[in-house]
Amino acid sequence: MQTKQVNIRVPTDLLDDLDIVSKLLKVNKSEWIKTKLAEDIHKEKNQLLLELSNLYTKGIISKKEVQNLVGSEIANQMESIHKTAKRSVKAGIEYGKQLKKAISG
Amino acid sequence: MENSLKKQFLVDTSAFISLESVNLLKQVINLFNIITVNSVINELKDFSKHNDKYGIIAKRVLKFTNKISMEDTDVKEQIRYLQNTNNELFNLALKKKIPLVSDDHKLVHHTKDKIDIYFSTFFLTAFVTAEIISKKESLGMLEKLRDIRNWKNNIIYLTTKEELEKL
Repeated sequence: MQTKQVNIRVPTDLLDDLDIVSKLLKVNKSEWIKTKLAEDIHKEKNQLLLELSNLYTKGIISKKEVQNLVGSEIANQMESIHKTAKRSVKAGIEYGKQLKKAISG
Repeated sequence: MENSLKKQFLVDTSAFISLESVNLLKQVINLFNIITVNSVINELKDFSKHNDKYGIIAKRVLKFTNKISMEDTDVKEQIRYLQNTNNELFNLALKKKIPLVSDDHKLVHHTKDKIDIYFSTFFLTAFVTAEIISKKESLGMLEKLRDIRNWKNNIIYLTTKEELEKL
């Protein structure tokens, strides 16, 4: 996995607390921060994209607006899933009509 | 319905799991000719080794194995973003010219312009239209399918719900 160095300033109290946590859990401080950060970012990202997908699917925001906010990859995926979901529903209705005839016939 | 009259569908691991998680697989197998490849059965066997939610559902799917047709095919057209099983399914759909049902967003995304591919919600609307299940039942099933609450499933849920409510 590729990594990048990020420098951040944190309050000394927080670093003291981190010391205690790492001693008690017998874990490496850097690894522990990375794990916690990854968990939180993943959760927050999913929640935000969930809200964005609500707005997009309900037609409140356009693909272009999604693209401006989070980039073209996610905007394209949203459009692709939305279109396939619609197509699946429509095709299901058409097959359902045939199925109804076949069952009753 | 006679077997020869049944419409054929290819189904992948994700769709088998979705359909069985809402107890719809038995009806799907009775009313359609369901086809898959051996690698899908192997994936389900791998899932079934675990005692988590998906493992339990996979075990239930495997009980239908004798009612599912198995077919193999050569992979003549390879999509590099897809794993082997998905390339097999894609090639079989191309060869047999039949729809593939999958809830794997990646598989859908890379094959949607080349084959007929649908999410498993296809069967929900088909069954409501054919009056096999009620609209209320289908909405309950859709709610269950939304269980994995990521933004991708959320789009499928909202889009299908809107259309189901119009029926």
